Amino acid sequence: MKIQVLFGTESGNAEIAAEDLAESIRNDNQEVEVHDLSSFSIAELQHDSLYVFLCSTYGEGELPNTALPFYADLSVVRPDLSGVRYAMFGLGDTFYKDTYGQGATKLDDKLTELGAQRTGEIGRYDASSWEPVGEGAVVWFAGVLEGVSATR
Amino acid sequence: MDAPLSIAVIGSGPSGCYIAQSLRKALPQSEITIYDRLASPFGLVRYGVAADHQSTKSIQAQFSRLFERENVRFAGNIEVGRDISLAQLRSTHHIVVLAAGLSADRAMEVPGEGLPEVYRAGRLTRLFNAHPLEPTGVPTFGKSVAIIGGGNVSIDVLRLLIKQPEDFANSDIDDAMLAEYGQAPVSRVDLICRSTIANAPSDPVMLAELGRIRGVRFSCSDPIEVAEDAPRTALARAKAIGELLEVDPGPETRAEVVLHFGWAPVSINGDGHVRDVELRSVNDDRTNQRLGADSVVTAIGFDFDGGDWHGLGALKADSETGVLDQGLYRTGWIKRGSRGTIAENRSCAKTVADEIIADLDSLEQQSKPGYAGLPEEVRALAVDYAAWKRVDCAEKEAASEARTRRKFPSHEQMVAIAHNKLVESSAAQRGN
Ligand SMILES: Cc1cc2nc3c(=O)[nH]c(=O)nc-3n(C[C@H](O)[C@H](O)[C@H](O)COP(=O)(O)OP(=O)(O)OC[C@H]3O[C@@H](n4cnc5c(N)ncnc54)[C@H](O)[C@@H]3O)c2cc1C
Ligand SMILES: Cc1cc2nc3c(=O)[nH]c(=O)nc-3n(C[C@H](O)[C@H](O)[C@H](O)COP(=O)(O)O)c2cc1C
Repeated sequence: MKIQVLFGTESGNAEIAAEDLAESIRNDNQEVEVHDLSSFSIAELQHDSLYVFLCSTYGEGELPNTALPFYADLSVVRPDLSGVRYAMFGLGDTFYKDTYGQGATKLDDKLTELGAQRTGEIGRYDASSWEPVGEGAVVWFAGVLEGVSATR
Repeated sequence: MDAPLSIAVIGSGPSGCYIAQSLRKALPQSEITIYDRLASPFGLVRYGVAADHQSTKSIQAQFSRLFERENVRFAGNIEVGRDISLAQLRSTHHIVVLAAGLSADRAMEVPGEGLPEVYRAGRLTRLFNAHPLEPTGVPTFGKSVAIIGGGNVSIDVLRLLIKQPEDFANSDIDDAMLAEYGQAPVSRVDLICRSTIANAPSDPVMLAELGRIRGVRFSCSDPIEVAEDAPRTALARAKAIGELLEVDPGPETRAEVVLHFGWAPVSINGDGHVRDVELRSVNDDRTNQRLGADSVVTAIGFDFDGGDWHGLGALKADSETGVLDQGLYRTGWIKRGSRGTIAENRSCAKTVADEIIADLDSLEQQSKPGYAGLPEEVRALAVDYAAWKRVDCAEKEAASEARTRRKFPSHEQMVAIAHNKLVESSAAQRGN
């Protein structure tokens, strides 16, 4: 199973998290690719991969601007994503109480609506924590993979 | 090229950090040094972003990786133009990138701007952030202040002036400054924005945040409706302002805040001291109004100071290219002007890094030693990353319970801590 890490970022945290995650996946001898959502087309979504989305939040609960075209394509083209599997990690900031991590939640809702199937819980990173962003993502993903192997 | 590529970045703010990220990724073998005149990295993230917005400052966690894991050198306490010339840096590094930001507050150019109670937002935000090179001393605001400017910085200033001391929990506000200001806080603030509500440059979230401060009554002298088909942000801004007007200040109103949209200053008046501000309506022919004020804060952006930038002549904003000369580039505010958030410097840096990489073949082939080529006495000044971490730890240790850190407002003290020379230096101070 190939793992494809897709990140949507404005200030760079999600990209760092994506790189750290990819490094740890590679260290486990798994095949992994990293893509910026701004240069990833919805037509590339395949059935034989696990997609790991890392996505921050801007505006009032919106996706970061680099991920907006991808989201808009999903909404307009409405591809049938049944059989596509993904995991979701949201970056946000609890300073924004009412819209905390909504960017990832919105993307998750859209993928589910189009028939894709999420593995594991949505992971969260709170910028107010000052924690190194990559570590949280790596720990979360280990949990996601455990779930995957348990259900096999 | 056989010798490793050496790169100097001038300035360790967001732009310098972002371009170092991009260059490190594209050129893993290169030697990269980020120089800064201060003993601390991160530029305006430390000294511009408001002390009560710690989550915005947390981007430092991302930038720290450069120095901790990505083999980028920090060389603080080295000022280009004082400790080393731009020409020296260019002769020792293949590539030099200016990321020095813009620190000069833009002038309003209205009569009365020189009155003693007219303060610039850059100075105030540096003071509240304990900037080590800002002369200390709290300005006298009197009972009422007029803040001119409608962007996020003007709202930062407004918020800092109307918050109560207990509202600064978990911040790293300069407590000396806060205590002194707390002796005579203002009771009225007029916020004067040249644009209409629909076009104002402020972030609606920043406006909404004001409503959470207790004891403040908000009013707006102008209609707050915007067209139904206005852009999302305009609608959100109008909504945020509408909600501010509804805020119940509670049993005790400490401060009145009056918002003005579509007004521009004509003059600041007073006999030796600020007495009032005359405003004209920008979009219609309402008659000029005069607002009484004991002091004025200008927050209308930052600009190139018009002087020579270390032999390059007077710089102007350039949205097209980051190329200044062969091997010489610029990024961030010193390229685009004082517009935009931290994140916008990331895309800017990516574009400039692409330009740099496209030019690599045309670089001079001779080897350039990079940091090691600087005179020994200059390298002796440098505060490297490990030395900065000593200051970082000392700041956190010195923090009182309700603070994340206590910033040291003296450059000499920061350098002394960094170089482990605090004992000698305080002894020397006592000797003075
Ligand atoms: C008051 C204020 C509040 C802000 N708040 C926010 C916010 O909440 N959120 C947000 O997204 N954006 C905010 N911004 C905008 C953000 O700070 C800028 O977009 C960003 O800092 C610009 O980055 P820069 O690297 O170009 O400049 P800077 O951050 O200014 O960095 C320039 C660095 O260069 C160094 N330097 C200058 N001259 C020399 C020299 N001759 N030799 C060596 N070093 C030198 C300086 O010491 C400094 O460290 C704020 C800006 C201000 C002014
Ligand atoms: C202007 C602005 C608006 C934001 N809005 C939200 C928000 O509504 N909800 C949230 O959870 N985080 C919000 N954030 C926080 C970011 O999502 C958080 O800092 C994240 O770590 C950024 O990741 P990135 O660097 O990958 O873009 C906002 C940040 C900024 C600068």
